[in-house]
Amino acid sequence: MAEVRLTDIRKRFGALEIIKGVDLSIEAGEFVVFVGPSGCGKSTLLRMIAGLEDISSGELTIGGAVMNDVDPSKRGIAMVFQSYALYPHMTVRENMGFALKFAGMAREEIDSRVNDAARILELEPLLDRKPKALSGGQRQRVAIGRAIVRNPLVFLFDEPLSNLDAELRVHMRVEIAKLHKELKSTVIYVTHDQVEAMTLADKIVVLRSGVVEQVGAPLELYDDPANTFVAGFIGSPRMNFLKGRVATVADGHVTVALTSQPEVALTLPIASTSVTTGDAVTLGIRPEHFLAQEKGDAELAVEVDVAEHLGNTSYVYAHVSDSERIIIEHADVRKIASRETLTIGIAASRSFLFDDDGNRIR
Amino acid sequence: MNASRLFTAALQYVFLATAAFLSIFPFIWMVISSTNTSIDIISGRTGIGEAFATNVGNFFAQVDVPLVFWNSTKLAVLATLLTIVVSSLAGYGFEMFRSKARDRIYALVLLTLMVPFAALMIPLFMMMAKSGLINTHIAIMLPTIASAFIIFYFRQSTKAFQTELRDAAKVDGLKEWQIFLYIYVPVMRSTYAAAFVIVFMTNWNNYLWPLIVLQSNETKTITLVVSSLASAYYPDYGVVMIGTILATLPTLFVFFVMQRQFVQGMLGSVK
Repeated sequence: MAEVRLTDIRKRFGALEIIKGVDLSIEAGEFVVFVGPSGCGKSTLLRMIAGLEDISSGELTIGGAVMNDVDPSKRGIAMVFQSYALYPHMTVRENMGFALKFAGMAREEIDSRVNDAARILELEPLLDRKPKALSGGQRQRVAIGRAIVRNPLVFLFDEPLSNLDAELRVHMRVEIAKLHKELKSTVIYVTHDQVEAMTLADKIVVLRSGVVEQVGAPLELYDDPANTFVAGFIGSPRMNFLKGRVATVADGHVTVALTSQPEVALTLPIASTSVTTGDAVTLGIRPEHFLAQEKGDAELAVEVDVAEHLGNTSYVYAHVSDSERIIIEHADVRKIASRETLTIGIAASRSFLFDDDGNRIR
Repeated sequence: MNASRLFTAALQYVFLATAAFLSIFPFIWMVISSTNTSIDIISGRTGIGEAFATNVGNFFAQVDVPLVFWNSTKLAVLATLLTIVVSSLAGYGFEMFRSKARDRIYALVLLTLMVPFAALMIPLFMMMAKSGLINTHIAIMLPTIASAFIIFYFRQSTKAFQTELRDAAKVDGLKEWQIFLYIYVPVMRSTYAAAFVIVFMTNWNNYLWPLIVLQSNETKTITLVVSSLASAYYPDYGVVMIGTILATLPTLFVFFVMQRQFVQGMLGSVK
């Protein structure tokens, strides 16, 4: 395992800048997940670390050595691709041993490493099959095995579970987490699925349009998002945002009146001194943080559009006004119907305040 | 099945049966004619005759069969292999490498498909003459090696080649030429098989250019020899039919042996 450092990394295609100066420090043995919506640059950034895309400017080091212009095979990385990228004309054994054979490793050593990886991943009965005779999950395990045998300093995963069905995805997610614990290697993992990010990562890097929005532990990002983008991206269903205006600021507290229902005012503690009366702000409340009537610091009347009862919980899709729609998660309530007017409580301690630009006011 | 669908199906069968008959008839006629004498053929006899052995004997007496077959085989196989190597490299390159000039160069390559061979014949002949290659097999092969159609075919087929395989191979330490040789070629073997059938048939049947370039009997191919038999003052059509059958057999053999890969390759290129 090795640490990975990115210093002002940029990627340009002509005049178009895709990665806009990423600074990142990944410690040895850490499981880091790059997460963000499609087109945010997470895969490009991973490919730059792998050496499959040139770095336009900035510095990349792996294990302390500058890797900007080093061949992918000499960076000490191994990569697992979204489509598995198994060589279709080779058996599982040949696929797993191909890189080692190419590096000139002795036959016995290759066999030993392939057999070890096959044992860890329970691939032993499949070693003489070709990829077309494997299921999606088995192919993914072979792809991981191919990475393991190289004994890399850093594992790179590019949306490895995207092609699997929901059940298999959960299973493989657990397998990858177990594997990381066993191998104790540095892992950089790209996904657009925030559940994968939350469950696997030691550290999540949230990207948007080639810029790192926030870096932190999963619960740190959930509990303390830096802006509306991160707040909306981390957590499922996503955070609700309600427009408001600062009514009063006094004694380290700010009172926010909602635009859609000005009679609803919530007072929150803040440390910032830059907030003034009349400022436009956004109140963020997670679906699971709404409370029952008379239990919050403020109460909000909403009209229910649709209610989904999943058994263990219910999601209520409602609107506060014509333009503001929210999702409420209720674990206990099973009898909410469409068109019903619902009064819900908001707790100041579970609410987030953002300025007009979407940045968090703390 | 209702009446309308039955009628459509019947129409399809009639059309396909007619097309099949029109395709197969020349072969049947060729085989039947090879058993008849030249006079019987001219007089329009359609039954199986008894002159097959005589025709074969006459053909072998008039033609140095091993030499012309060696010439044809050597030319067709070498030209086919060279065409496939050059064109698949070009198709791979056009698809895999990004460049501002790529599409312009590719358009130029495709434009050459619009130029009829007849327009190139004289300049090509002059080039070969100046290079001292007239009456050599190299002169036959050189103009066929870079085939715009086969480049196009390989580029289209390469679109189905997963780029992640190339990435995985790079991570595994392969250079570009090794990726081409160890990954691309085996993965695209159906495409290669289909290209081999197409190019081999084209080269085996190549007539006009060898007719101009090859001037001595020692260098002539089977198609030229059969043609010269047919254009004699008193052509023996029975002998011509034997020559035609022999000239057809290698292409039929190649097609039937590689039929499955040919169909797979053709399907792959249009998917």
